Amino acid sequence: MLTKRTMLLGTAVLLAVLSFGAMASAADFPKAKQLRMVVPYGAGGGVDISTRILATPAQDILGQRIDVVCMPGAGGQEGINFVLQQPRDGYTLLVTDYGPLVTTALTEEVTYDLSDWVPLVQITEVVPTFFVLAESPLKNVEDWVKAAKEKPESLTVAHGRHLSVPHLPLILFEKTAGIKNTHVPTTGGSEALAYVLGKKVDIGASVPSTIASTVKAGTMRPLAVCSLERVATLPDTPTMKELGYDVVLPAWYTVFAPKGVPEETLKILEEKFIEALKSEGAKEMAGKSNVLLTPYGRDKTAGLYEGTISSLKTILADVKK
Amino acid sequence: MDELFFQVLEGAFALPVILYTTVGVFLGITVGAIPGLSGDMAIALLLPLIYKVSPAAALGMLMGIYKGSMFGGSISAISFGVPGTAAAAATVEDGYPAKLKGHPKQAMLTALYSSVTGDLISTLLLVFVAVPMAKVALHFGPVEFFALYVFALMMISLLVVGEMKKGIAAAAIGLFIGTIGMDPMMGSVRLTFGISSLRGGIPLIPLLVGVFAVSELMIQFGRECASRSAKKVAEDAIKAEELGIYDPAKDRMSLKIYWSTFRAALIGSGMGTFIGALPGAGSSLAAFMSYGLARKMSRKPDEFGTGTLEGVAAPEAGNSATAGASLIPLFAFGIPGSATAALFGAALIMQGINPGPMMIEENKVIIYTLFVIIIYATFINLVLSHGLIPLYAKLAQIKACYLVPTVFALALLGTFASRNSLFDVWVLLAAGVLGIYLRKNGFPLGPLVLGFIVGPGAEKALRQALLMGRGDWMFLLKSPIALGFYALCVISLLLIHFSVKKKLVEED
Repeated sequence: MLTKRTMLLGTAVLLAVLSFGAMASAADFPKAKQLRMVVPYGAGGGVDISTRILATPAQDILGQRIDVVCMPGAGGQEGINFVLQQPRDGYTLLVTDYGPLVTTALTEEVTYDLSDWVPLVQITEVVPTFFVLAESPLKNVEDWVKAAKEKPESLTVAHGRHLSVPHLPLILFEKTAGIKNTHVPTTGGSEALAYVLGKKVDIGASVPSTIASTVKAGTMRPLAVCSLERVATLPDTPTMKELGYDVVLPAWYTVFAPKGVPEETLKILEEKFIEALKSEGAKEMAGKSNVLLTPYGRDKTAGLYEGTISSLKTILADVKK
Repeated sequence: MDELFFQVLEGAFALPVILYTTVGVFLGITVGAIPGLSGDMAIALLLPLIYKVSPAAALGMLMGIYKGSMFGGSISAISFGVPGTAAAAATVEDGYPAKLKGHPKQAMLTALYSSVTGDLISTLLLVFVAVPMAKVALHFGPVEFFALYVFALMMISLLVVGEMKKGIAAAAIGLFIGTIGMDPMMGSVRLTFGISSLRGGIPLIPLLVGVFAVSELMIQFGRECASRSAKKVAEDAIKAEELGIYDPAKDRMSLKIYWSTFRAALIGSGMGTFIGALPGAGSSLAAFMSYGLARKMSRKPDEFGTGTLEGVAAPEAGNSATAGASLIPLFAFGIPGSATAALFGAALIMQGINPGPMMIEENKVIIYTLFVIIIYATFINLVLSHGLIPLYAKLAQIKACYLVPTVFALALLGTFASRNSLFDVWVLLAAGVLGIYLRKNGFPLGPLVLGFIVGPGAEKALRQALLMGRGDWMFLLKSPIALGFYALCVISLLLIHFSVKKKLVEED
């Protein structure tokens, strides 16, 4: 039924375009004009960098220019709304993690429905990671759970912003392990790191790239990562799942098309983007900026998208209580 | 270490970086020399376009503008008695009389050499102080940061030029604007009145550009099209005739003359560096305080105000010395020392570099590259200014009706380009209107911007500290560093209170 609707909408868009007398049609894609990839974050951030890693080789493969447009206004909603207001022809796409798209939609009023989006290709995945100072008495997750059970809320955990990518797995972990800690929101990874280094808090929650240099230097000990498999940059760090806690909540950076883009166009985009992510150019850029590419296509990303929505719904329902 | 060294040199002396820095210095001297345009404004205007180039080139250009404008302001100050920038206001006191006495060249070159001296001293201090200070900054947690923010806010309102209550009011407005949008801790949305565009808060860049640049442009446009300095030139011609004919032979610059003003330049450099490093003070305050101190410490204090070159050297060294020093608190703690440093901080953030204790550690190559650029920009400034002085003495006569619309168009374009947001353009215009009101009523603008920047940080630090201390307010006093800051607050409050009282008594 979904495909039927997509087809119908696609035809509608096609007709609309044709009636304007333009040369553009789904069959011509992507010859009509340059593509735009809208990032609901500021320039220079993780999502922006990842998008450029995809866009740079993809322009050559598609034979069409791709502009990366950063629209961080209104906490990212300006960028998301902009994509929805454009013609559904596949020339304007959204690249985001789940924060502005899913978390905001579940906690506040937004102009769209979560089913209005078609996840196309995953560029990379960032994995929430818990860490302590190397000299900390907490040697592993077991110590953490034990200490927290003895004296609830005695341990402080600095994470990113409230309900951010490292914060949600913390909430999920506490629920799974039946413990409670004092949460200290910060503006992001480097502040959380500074507080752990300065011994202001006991535990930090961030992503591997934040702590990579301190782990290498031996000053920081990662406790666990919240992904299905171990992270390549922290091969000795166990996953929460291995330790018996079902906390799997990696954040994807994924390319989305708004619903209504013709199926042929989606196919072209998926195929070419995957090809671009597997190119030498993308690998080289990714290596420089410590991004681990995960070129997943539509089937896999759709599953991850649905999975994220349902886990977030559960966690956020608990937070509201 | 060697690798770092070469990486830094390679970055700093790359051709585009040198070019951008040179362009920055050139722009800085230009806007500095034109009354009404300032370095702050040029930096604010260019900010949105900055992330299109590499961090080293972008920051080199901004630093070049700052340095160039600090000297450029003195060109029109000495030529026409109209300060090109607020920071050059103190230079008028002796620079203009010196020109009338037939020594424009000596005054101009003294200004330039003192500028460069002050700049170099404070830059070296930045290099040698910021890095160790940033190490200390790692011991800063929310408790210490909150104390530092309190100190910063206090300095912002105390050190304002003009009425103190207006400074405090401006800082309070800035604090208020900073509370709009999602709160820093729990993400609750505040003061948006259901306007979803306000969720993310008031964006910094449109606010800065609006308050500093747009308001000034709108005010100028409201005035007559003839510039003030054009009238001045006519008046000067008459005055100069009365004083006799200009004799170039008596107006030669020599090492001896430079040496005779060196003491004053050193006093200015010291004062400027100190004031610059304090969060909240600015270059015009530094210039006036340097002038005052040099006069008090001079062997010939009576000559001040009559065109003595010492009176040119001190304020020029003073205002230029703030260039490097105002970056010390930004680099070490992430707190900007001046409005310009705030703009600079915004540029760093746009390059993906977050000012704060971790900044130097995390971005060693870029930061050290920046240090090298800041130092060589001083010499670019020296050479360029030398060549431009004769030309630029004429620049101050450009009519506002050509200048204002051009700059205004750039402001609109630049703001939109930075985040591709039309909402930001509205913020820009609204901030412009706010800026006009504040300027017309004598409110200083620096405290507003600093309040806006420091406010959310202070709120976050306070709430983090209370979370860690489990709601116990005494937790805020359980740190020697924090106690030190609170003591500094009390001491500076008392000092300023008594010095103001003394001044009032003297004036009576």
